[in-house]
Amino acid sequence: MAVAAPPSRVLGASLPWWLLIAPALILMLAFYAFPLAEVLWISFTEPEPGLSNYERLITSEAVQRVWITTLRICIITTVITLLAGYVVAYALSSAPPRVQRWMFLFILLPLWISVLVRAFAWVTILRRQGLINEALIGAGLIDEPLRLIWNEFGIAVGMVHYMIPYAVLPLYASMRDIDPRLVPAARGLGASRFEAFRSVFLPLTRPGIIAASVLVFIFSLGFYVTPAILGGGRTLMIAEYIKLQILDLIRWGLGTMMASTLLIAIVLLLWALSRIVDIRRVFGSG
Amino acid sequence: MAALSHALTVDRVSKHYGPVRAVDDVSLTIGRGDFVTLLGPSGSGKTTLLMAIAGFVAPTSGQILLDDTPITPLPPEKRNFGMVFQGYALFPHMTVAQNVGFPLRVRKVGRAEADRRVADALALVQLDHLADRLPKQLSGGQQQRVALARALVFQPALLLLDEPLSALDKKLRAELQVELKDLHRRVGLTFIYVTHDQEEALSMSDSIAILRDGRLVQEGPPGALYERPATRFVADFLGKSNFIEGVVEEVRADGFSYAAAGQRFVQHGGAEGLAKGAPVLVAIRPEKIEVREAAPAEPEMNGLSGTIAAWSYFGSAFALLVDTPLGRVQAAIPAWRCPVEPSEGRAVHLAWTADASVRVVAD
Amino acid sequence: MDRSAQAGPVANVLAWSVLLFLLLPITVIFPISLTDQRFLSLPYEALSLQHYVAFFTSERWLSSTWQSLVIALASTILAVSTGTLCAIGCWKLSTRATEIVRVLMLLPIIVPSIVYALGIYRLWIRLDLLDTYTGVILVHGVTGIPYVVITVTTALANFDPRLEQAARGMGASLRQTLAWVILPRIMPGIVSGAIFAFIHSWDEAVLILFIASRALFTLPRRMWDGINENLDPVMAVAACVMILASVLMLAVDLWARRKRSE
Repeated sequence: MAVAAPPSRVLGASLPWWLLIAPALILMLAFYAFPLAEVLWISFTEPEPGLSNYERLITSEAVQRVWITTLRICIITTVITLLAGYVVAYALSSAPPRVQRWMFLFILLPLWISVLVRAFAWVTILRRQGLINEALIGAGLIDEPLRLIWNEFGIAVGMVHYMIPYAVLPLYASMRDIDPRLVPAARGLGASRFEAFRSVFLPLTRPGIIAASVLVFIFSLGFYVTPAILGGGRTLMIAEYIKLQILDLIRWGLGTMMASTLLIAIVLLLWALSRIVDIRRVFGSG
Repeated sequence: MAALSHALTVDRVSKHYGPVRAVDDVSLTIGRGDFVTLLGPSGSGKTTLLMAIAGFVAPTSGQILLDDTPITPLPPEKRNFGMVFQGYALFPHMTVAQNVGFPLRVRKVGRAEADRRVADALALVQLDHLADRLPKQLSGGQQQRVALARALVFQPALLLLDEPLSALDKKLRAELQVELKDLHRRVGLTFIYVTHDQEEALSMSDSIAILRDGRLVQEGPPGALYERPATRFVADFLGKSNFIEGVVEEVRADGFSYAAAGQRFVQHGGAEGLAKGAPVLVAIRPEKIEVREAAPAEPEMNGLSGTIAAWSYFGSAFALLVDTPLGRVQAAIPAWRCPVEPSEGRAVHLAWTADASVRVVAD
Repeated sequence: MDRSAQAGPVANVLAWSVLLFLLLPITVIFPISLTDQRFLSLPYEALSLQHYVAFFTSERWLSSTWQSLVIALASTILAVSTGTLCAIGCWKLSTRATEIVRVLMLLPIIVPSIVYALGIYRLWIRLDLLDTYTGVILVHGVTGIPYVVITVTTALANFDPRLEQAARGMGASLRQTLAWVILPRIMPGIVSGAIFAFIHSWDEAVLILFIASRALFTLPRRMWDGINENLDPVMAVAACVMILASVLMLAVDLWARRKRSE
């Protein structure tokens, strides 16, 4: 935000500008904030008022299993995504401009493709008669098709693929700001390539690492399409569990409770992130 | 903390980037304990040469020797050279003490020993009181001194400095030039200093190597380079010069005489390889030209008449631009002994002795 | 500095492997859509357009494409008109209250769709908007607003606020200032926002599961059912259609930007 308009304090002068804001604000309040608030409300009132829905977090093994599965897959996804994203961002930040443009295209292109299409593509690649199994069997390397899909492996592949661009952007932003002389300086002072990386470059990218991890983790938590398709209903993550409760089992209390917990977890994570790094910079980097 | 100083030899080093010859067949010997400056305009290859010495750039051909040991294949961290980067390259996430201690940390020097040497190095640059600050909390001059302390703390074989003063304002730069020179005397190390600022080079160096388009043009002590520039480029880049293009009339034992714009001039020395009729280029510094009211009568004095086209006053001196048959000539006259009142259009006579000017190669 | 500033060969090989991994799904879809087989596979003997023919003669796929297009266009108009004005108002006022408005506008990209889906499903049951164009367009429009607010706010950051004051000082009304001074200057941001909002609706696959069932069957919705029921090569064609629409939009955006900068 390079130039901010001077604030106008007089109500009379600001009224016309508020009229510009009004349509979006009304739409957002009536058709977004209100239904969202209602989700929270229902979680405390149905089937009967009280905390009975939330008690299930402690008492219900099924609910706990869903949360544990979700957290496990999200942590695995975040770790793999961060490693892959870091390597890409590192190569990107030191590449010559012409190469950089191509790398950017390859990183951003998937962002423009529907998540559903990408999940479908992974199905065609990973399934029993998919491209990988056909190729491996054709080459005589395996007799039985590998189980690459409808399990946590398939979910992780699809989610990592979806998340990598979101990790690369904040990581790249933090690397771009590093003075390019620092690593040579460290080496000139006697540090090996690896030591220079570990003691100078890596610590300086810490804000990027934190931001990227939290972002990827948050996006993963509430992810629906990819886990639903690549998990094939066998591995239940929280979003699909919620969908089942509402559309198939019509258990509003349980569904909204899970949705509310998810929302609260995300808000807490974002709040923690904002205490550590400047969120505007993270989002402004794309 | 005076360390053993070393000599460095650059032996026919070239660095090509595709068709571009950033450094082109440069040979240079840097003596023990010398303060040597690589001077040149931007794009002259001086920084690339320094980076090759530091080990960040692998030469396309040639080699670099420390005393008698070839170091060309060594990565930068094995060379044990101290380096001060342009813009200092201080690690922003480390305090001053941690920055200075970094070279000791990577060398696995013991804690107590490292603390003592960091304190010594900071004392050397008078920054002991700022050890716990972060680089961004320091002024430009202070950052510069931290960079120096960091480059010296591990007793490097040489100190390499890449335009270390270019980010500072003029006054601070002058102060730090004196400090750097003093530091050089105290630590007794060999300093290799890169700059594009000719005044900085003249005031600090034991020896200057002038580079242009990747080639070494001339090398020598500042006084010799200033008084006896070998080429037109050196005469123009190091200080200012007027140039006279003439034709040799007569070669004598102590020099030669030449003609330009229908007038005859004499020149001491520099007659090697000249014959009558050969084209010749002579450089004359503005401050070596006298301004007189009458034409010089002395036989060995060169004279030239003209009119003042423009003048300016600098307190200590007048700078005159005089239109003459040879074209526009610059002259700098000490203000307190200027024999004529400068005014535009006034006729004056310029004079200089035969040994005031110098023959240069046109390049 | 060829010895240290660049990433080493190991890092570069790893980075390019990751980039190829990113491209893999997109690159396999096109050959698969051209398969000569009756099941999902790479072409065995020849390239065939049979599945394209099947797609473009299928009543169901065509009506889904049409519905997706109508919904995406209408919701884009809704998102762009309200989002742009809102971003301008917030930019001009810049008070604590408008900061809160801005954060509120960003909610839809922070909150998981599944959470919002429950709320809007419940509300649409009550308002009888399930399975209607109005219902879907409102939902896609509202959730498209953040993209417009972000791109327009970015465009406004480079807009000199004194231009607005100068226009008002010369006697232009707010409406004239908007139309003649502000909007033309931030048009690239609005175009980008519109494209994002369009693609958001075009690709949206979660909310639609809740708020539409029979009458409305958008392209993602039909693909969703297809993946879960019968994996036939026409699906690959549908995927290609969706990719092409997005890439086309991306190209329009790049073209518009280039034209601006000329």
